[in-house]
Amino acid sequence: MKWNGCASNVMQTINGWLLDLFEDTQAAGVVLWVLTDEGKRVRLHQPFPIRFSLSGPAKVLRQVWRFLKSHASQPQLSRREGRDLFHPEPVDLLVVEVASFSLQQRLFRELLDRYPDLLYYDADVSLPLRYAAKTDSFPLCRCEITCFESGLMHQFIVRDSPWELDPQAPALTIMNLEPDCDPLHASPQALLVSVAGVNYRLSLHPARALLINLQALLKRHDPDVLLTRWGDTWLLPFLVQLAEKNEITLALNREPGHGFLQRPERSYFSYGQIMYSGQQFHLFGRWHIDRQNAMFWTDFGLDGIIEMARVTSQPVQVAARTSPGTGISSMQVLTALRNNILVPWHKQQGERPKTALELIESDLGGLVYQPLVGLHRDVGAIDFISMYPAIMVRCNISPETNKTGLLETGDEPAGLIPLTLEPLLKKRVALKQRAANLPNWDPRRKLDKARSGAHKWLLVTCFGYLGYKNARFGRIEAHEAVTAGGREALLRAKEASEDMGFQVLHMYVDGLWIYQAGKNQPQDFVPLLDEIARRTGLAIALDGVYRWVAFLPSRVNARVPVPNRYFGVFQDGSLKVRGLEARRRDSAPWVARMQMDLLEYLAQAEDADQLPDYIPGAMAILRRHLANLQAGRVPLEDLLVALRLSREPQEYTVKTAGVRAAMQLQEIGKSLRPGQRVRLLYLRGGQVQAWDMPGKPDARCIDLGRYYELAVRAASAVFYPLGLSEDELRAWLKGGIQLCFQFALPAGKRQILLPPSSEEQAWQTLFLGVKTGKQELVIG
Amino acid sequence: MGRTIPSITQVFMHEEQSLSRFRRALRRSDQLALDELLSSARQHIAAAAYATHVLPMETFLVAMILEEHKEVRRLRDEVERLRQQCDAND
Repeated sequence: MKWNGCASNVMQTINGWLLDLFEDTQAAGVVLWVLTDEGKRVRLHQPFPIRFSLSGPAKVLRQVWRFLKSHASQPQLSRREGRDLFHPEPVDLLVVEVASFSLQQRLFRELLDRYPDLLYYDADVSLPLRYAAKTDSFPLCRCEITCFESGLMHQFIVRDSPWELDPQAPALTIMNLEPDCDPLHASPQALLVSVAGVNYRLSLHPARALLINLQALLKRHDPDVLLTRWGDTWLLPFLVQLAEKNEITLALNREPGHGFLQRPERSYFSYGQIMYSGQQFHLFGRWHIDRQNAMFWTDFGLDGIIEMARVTSQPVQVAARTSPGTGISSMQVLTALRNNILVPWHKQQGERPKTALELIESDLGGLVYQPLVGLHRDVGAIDFISMYPAIMVRCNISPETNKTGLLETGDEPAGLIPLTLEPLLKKRVALKQRAANLPNWDPRRKLDKARSGAHKWLLVTCFGYLGYKNARFGRIEAHEAVTAGGREALLRAKEASEDMGFQVLHMYVDGLWIYQAGKNQPQDFVPLLDEIARRTGLAIALDGVYRWVAFLPSRVNARVPVPNRYFGVFQDGSLKVRGLEARRRDSAPWVARMQMDLLEYLAQAEDADQLPDYIPGAMAILRRHLANLQAGRVPLEDLLVALRLSREPQEYTVKTAGVRAAMQLQEIGKSLRPGQRVRLLYLRGGQVQAWDMPGKPDARCIDLGRYYELAVRAASAVFYPLGLSEDELRAWLKGGIQLCFQFALPAGKRQILLPPSSEEQAWQTLFLGVKTGKQELVIG
Repeated sequence: MGRTIPSITQVFMHEEQSLSRFRRALRRSDQLALDELLSSARQHIAAAAYATHVLPMETFLVAMILEEHKEVRRLRDEVERLRQQCDAND
């Protein structure tokens, strides 16, 4: 955008990347921090007036006009017509424009108090989104700027788009900052800093030395990113307080003289679970990312977070901390602003009344089948690529568009939701197709994976937001149309598979597991994939061919299959595990590792026929882990169970282990909010101890029996599909008896005997071999 | 979560509950047979959801008959196989 400044200074052109954008506190407008091609960090500023609109009865609007005419913020007023997505007719608007974002926020609140019944549009859109709508900017966009020497911008042009597959990436300076231990568990003694490949350990005492050293490091390296652990919840508030007390400046912000933005902690309800998000601490001109508080740090790291920020146009610090739901809403708001669609402050549209029969027919989710329990070989897993978003784009499903037939395309212009999703979906499919062709060593693989992980979450939540009553552009009928399309696509895929001679073992919302004797190469599935794509109009891909896969029954009733509890080995030897202890976040790390060890060992079998040969070794691995437990060789950290609380501890009537641990913490003044996990150890006599209590528990008090139980249960999930029941496993472990069981394979059952001697032999080769290997390592 | 209509699993559990008095009055051996019938209906819960019948118990009953019929067919084939074996031995 162009801005005609008054200064007669010399103009200069800057090429670089946009780092940060926020409101100017010194003059009305915005501040941009830009990382230039030369590696300099420059501060630029620009006036940026803000608009919002009101609509309502003409009489009231005239009153508002008179009130604003003499208002201290000196707004500019005009009348025009606008388009509200939920109204077929154009809406008459009173448009209000003020000089700065904070003035607009104050004026909006004031008007809301005086005239609560009016409809407000574009009133609560954040500053970065407004700027993005005007200039097409997004975090780390390539930009070309002409500006005066004073830093006043004349022109800001964006040179790339968030949809580029290989954007030019800037070299960011990252400073890692973390206390030497978990501040909730013990009081930290030092601060670990690493920047530019050098590690520093700064003692927290004396405070003056710490602050002066840290300030020197910040000044010397001028990092773009402060990557911390517990930075939101403990470290940065602690440092700021310390600096104030000692009257030493600590320039955590790059923007001089700017305060910090702190947001309180909160618990909220999402996808049937109570979630917790800790307090937040945002910086200006520099990003602060707390690895402990970043939603998806463990899923896709900094690359994924930056991608999330780029495609949603949210600031990086916000994208790191908010849910993908907020991200997808931002994208929708942006599409609306760019297409001159009004963004309502509160949606007025209610659900259309329906008959009971209509409800029964439409209020359905995806199809979730019950798998055929047991071990299967040569199974192809096929998945629709981003099924729900693809349906939204194909059938043009949006709150304002008309319903098309199931999986049919309409001839209306694309609605708001398809407009928002299409580029994202295209990018995801392009990355997926590229990933299939990239060799393993290619550095882009990891980056692509992180980025496509971010896309996946955005696309998944977009569907949920269609049905969410508070979502600005949601409408339940659109949500129902999507699931109906999904069910139709899955059934058409089933019919196509069966027509081509496949047996359908399992179906789950957007994926199928199919088997046909003799078909175990990827190319054997190509004709089927083409046929499904033809019948549904949606893209479908082969997830992989399993050498063998085992679907597990319910823990409570062995006759009842469970849709999402299975494990299998692909032809390249990689494992896929769902719903087992190894994947659950509440299981003790020791139990999870034991189960994973078993699975990884079994995964070495070339095909299902060889599995019986691997049973003695697997038994040895299990016995080895149990022996470690018995002998106290398992560190206490590995026995921690992390249970999530869904309400305040007092609200529970049954005091479960998690609740008792939370109450222990409460007694010493460490409170837990709903949605947080409490880590605990099981002690003898049915006691528990919260891990965050001061003082380590005595290792002799650990309830070994309980952990033994957990381990055997986890192991039995692995052995069960092979034909070995939990009772038999227990009996064998107790007495080391000779075992005789039916080995379960779909083709040809066979008796195998497992005398302890063969297991003993496996133990010798597995563990004594490992032991000598380790010794050699030490010597070498 | 946010649903107006109970999910098919909830409906199934409700129907199971409503049979509890009937089940209690049955002999132990009959109770076990009833449990088997219920689990066989449960295998088709996804299809029952898709069917969106106003009286889902009817669909569950058909699912039970379906599994029973599969079993009858399996046994019929087995009898046929054994008969052929017998004939061959004669």
